[in-house]
Amino acid sequence: MSVIESTAAVVSNRRVRVIAVMMGVLGVFSLIVFAVGSPSVAHSSFLFNPVNLSESAPWHVGTLTLNSRLADLVLALIMIGLAVETYVRRPARGVMVRFGGVAVLFLLTLLIWAARTPGPSPVSFVNLTALLIGSSEVTMVLVFGSLSGVMCERSGVVNIAIEGQFIGGAFVGSMLASTTHNFFYAAIGGALIGGAIGWILAFFALRYLSDQIIVGVVLVTMLGSLSSYLNLQVFTPFPQYNTGNLAPNLAIPLLSKIPVLGPVLFNQSGFFYLMLVLIGVISFALFKTRYGLHVRAVGEHPRAAATVGIDVVRVRYINVILGGAIAGIGGVAFMASQGQFQPNYTSGLGYIALAAMIFGRWRPSGAVVASVIFGLSVYLSYTLTSYQVPVSLYILQMFPYLITIAVVAGLIGRVRAPAADGVAYQHD
Amino acid sequence: MSEVATEPAPSAPSSAASAARRRWRLNSRSPIMITFYALLLGLVVGALVIITTTPAVLDAWRGIFHSGGGIFHALKVTWDNVGAAYRAMFNGSVVNPVSLWHSVTTGQNWEATLTPLSETLTYATPLIITSLGVGIAFQTGLFNIGANGQAVLGGVAGAMFGSMVHMPMFFHLPLTLLCGFAGGAIAGLVPGVLKAYTGAHEVIVTIMFNYVIYAFLLFSVLSTPFQLPGQQNDISRTIDPSAQLHPLFGVASGLRVNYGVVVAALVVAFAWWFLERSSMGFDFRVTGANPAAAKASGINAKAVIILVFVISGGLSGLAGIVQAASTTHYIDGGFLIGSAGIGFTAITVALLGRNKPGGIVWASLLFAALGVGGRAMQGATGIPLDLASVIQSAIVLFVATPVLVKEIFRLKSAPVAKLELATKGWGA
Repeated sequence: MSVIESTAAVVSNRRVRVIAVMMGVLGVFSLIVFAVGSPSVAHSSFLFNPVNLSESAPWHVGTLTLNSRLADLVLALIMIGLAVETYVRRPARGVMVRFGGVAVLFLLTLLIWAARTPGPSPVSFVNLTALLIGSSEVTMVLVFGSLSGVMCERSGVVNIAIEGQFIGGAFVGSMLASTTHNFFYAAIGGALIGGAIGWILAFFALRYLSDQIIVGVVLVTMLGSLSSYLNLQVFTPFPQYNTGNLAPNLAIPLLSKIPVLGPVLFNQSGFFYLMLVLIGVISFALFKTRYGLHVRAVGEHPRAAATVGIDVVRVRYINVILGGAIAGIGGVAFMASQGQFQPNYTSGLGYIALAAMIFGRWRPSGAVVASVIFGLSVYLSYTLTSYQVPVSLYILQMFPYLITIAVVAGLIGRVRAPAADGVAYQHD
Repeated sequence: MSEVATEPAPSAPSSAASAARRRWRLNSRSPIMITFYALLLGLVVGALVIITTTPAVLDAWRGIFHSGGGIFHALKVTWDNVGAAYRAMFNGSVVNPVSLWHSVTTGQNWEATLTPLSETLTYATPLIITSLGVGIAFQTGLFNIGANGQAVLGGVAGAMFGSMVHMPMFFHLPLTLLCGFAGGAIAGLVPGVLKAYTGAHEVIVTIMFNYVIYAFLLFSVLSTPFQLPGQQNDISRTIDPSAQLHPLFGVASGLRVNYGVVVAALVVAFAWWFLERSSMGFDFRVTGANPAAAKASGINAKAVIILVFVISGGLSGLAGIVQAASTTHYIDGGFLIGSAGIGFTAITVALLGRNKPGGIVWASLLFAALGVGGRAMQGATGIPLDLASVIQSAIVLFVATPVLVKEIFRLKSAPVAKLELATKGWGA
């Protein structure tokens, strides 16, 4: 592990500076547009109570009202400060954390500016809890997808079929949830179909050494068209198989009463808790167990791993199938948060999950942080319209993808993929 | 065969003649036969999908156990259903034998007889152009998965020029096509530059760019200058008649096949010359085959990457405007979008055609026939047209895995022509 970590920690100065400049641009933009753009008398309010005050409502917290310009000014200065610090000190570690922090602060300044009163917005407050709950659905799906990517790519197989596994999981999940009314079965079905797709990918990639990216892309195309075929052939004549229902929230007693954190983390569906467990289990398994050592060895140097007696192909099969199963559950989770299966409704979330994994440097913890940022920006692009931001909804919708491009362009190459990632392995 | 085809022909006439013979000998080691077998397997996969999802067929098989229906009855029902689907596909995309016989004997109704072929050609025209773009990128070792977005942007740019600028046809049509090319080229330039200068993996960047462009498409057709005046829906202005690609046999013929065919033929000729005869094309192929050797021989890798993406994106954009200028004459919010978008079909076409201009033409005609036939099949039998896309992906999966095809058909252990392309892992 130490070898891998030390090489990954070698960061090129130029890249760090590029990231620092990106952070600085965000900071200056916030300063000029958001801070100076708010009238000095305007104020913005933060609400902390969830919209849906059911029996498990958290303890009440009052409204926080801030002067919009002052708050944005402080936050923008913090962002610029972080950028300068990164540029000057070029820290070997924690650059990504700083970048993530700046990204979140940027979204916060944007929200404060959007909710300023007096201002054009009919909504004069930001409900932080509702915002986090709303984005947690997207984030959850992205975490499932990026964990799937981590599992596959740490063992050296590029899983670009995450999108296809989402689609398959959502389809089977909706069918099982509608017939059994039990999301446990739906999750198992999703895991099975996702694992099966993973097996197909592994079969072509490992046995026949086909190009993994091409097989993945073709699988996504196939699953996409197969699902819309089945949607017309099965779900349209038999709508009882796609009644769709939302996974119920399971509030954890006491913990769910904590303001903000409670409703976001402890009053969620079972899928969310499963995701939390998976993050821990995969982090532990990959970095603290013998199995994880094998996986990472296979992903870095399969030939060396084979000489010490590790069955490279077997390890890869296991990981790709497990990864597929995780993404399949992610598809069920997406369906369970949307209510019903519709063709093409994952709209590229699988690819964003892939980018989140790269952003997170092939580590579960990093992938989670990236998923949170991407989830927030995806969700915000849909909600900002209610603040009547003077930008078209469709321009806002570009942002998650543009951020992903910027991140990949700024970071990849600096961050190092597992050495044998995507490389076919032939035993001789 | 591929080696023979790509390398400059030796000057000795005898060896050239034998090479030509080798090329056309259809034995089991010929890639043409592998493609044929893959096609067969793809149709088998499609048949399996029909069998497992059509209620009538399933009932017949269930009848063996319940109501004592014979196994032959079940087989007959299966044969009838699958046969009807594939017959409708053939009749709808190539020619309907009954209609042909009627036309030949009576000399009437040629329009109805020729419509299927005309539709297939109409559908194939933009597909050929896009696929050549994707194929050129593949030959350089780059995976342009953003062809769909580039085609959309090309369509938008071309349609803007074609609908909002007015001039005589002699200038208008070429300039409109050029605008389409430019739109696609810009969409290709960004991933190319990012790949060349930051190392951002083109697969991620082009996928993300697809979604950025889809959002831009909706923005453009819903915004004032481009939206059809007096409309609230997502529909653009109509392209001027002077910028349209008119039907080859006149509007009165009822056949939609149009002058886009001429554009496609010119592009095929250009692509052949470019890849096989021009020195820049040679640089491209060397870079794809062996980047290290290319660098050692002084080829500027960065320039090659950027140029490839400009050309590849430009061709996709040209396909987009050809599509818009020849069929609908306007653009709406769903232009080329969906899992079966032209850019994704083009990836599979390029793979099937082994990235050679000639192969791509045949593969485009085949896939266009499948697509058009799928529509006819949906009309005749009610089986959703997405089946065609499933068959297409299955074919490509088999083409990408010649060893599997060989094993299934128990072909002699001849050396198998591997698909000569390999995408590179994230780190590369």
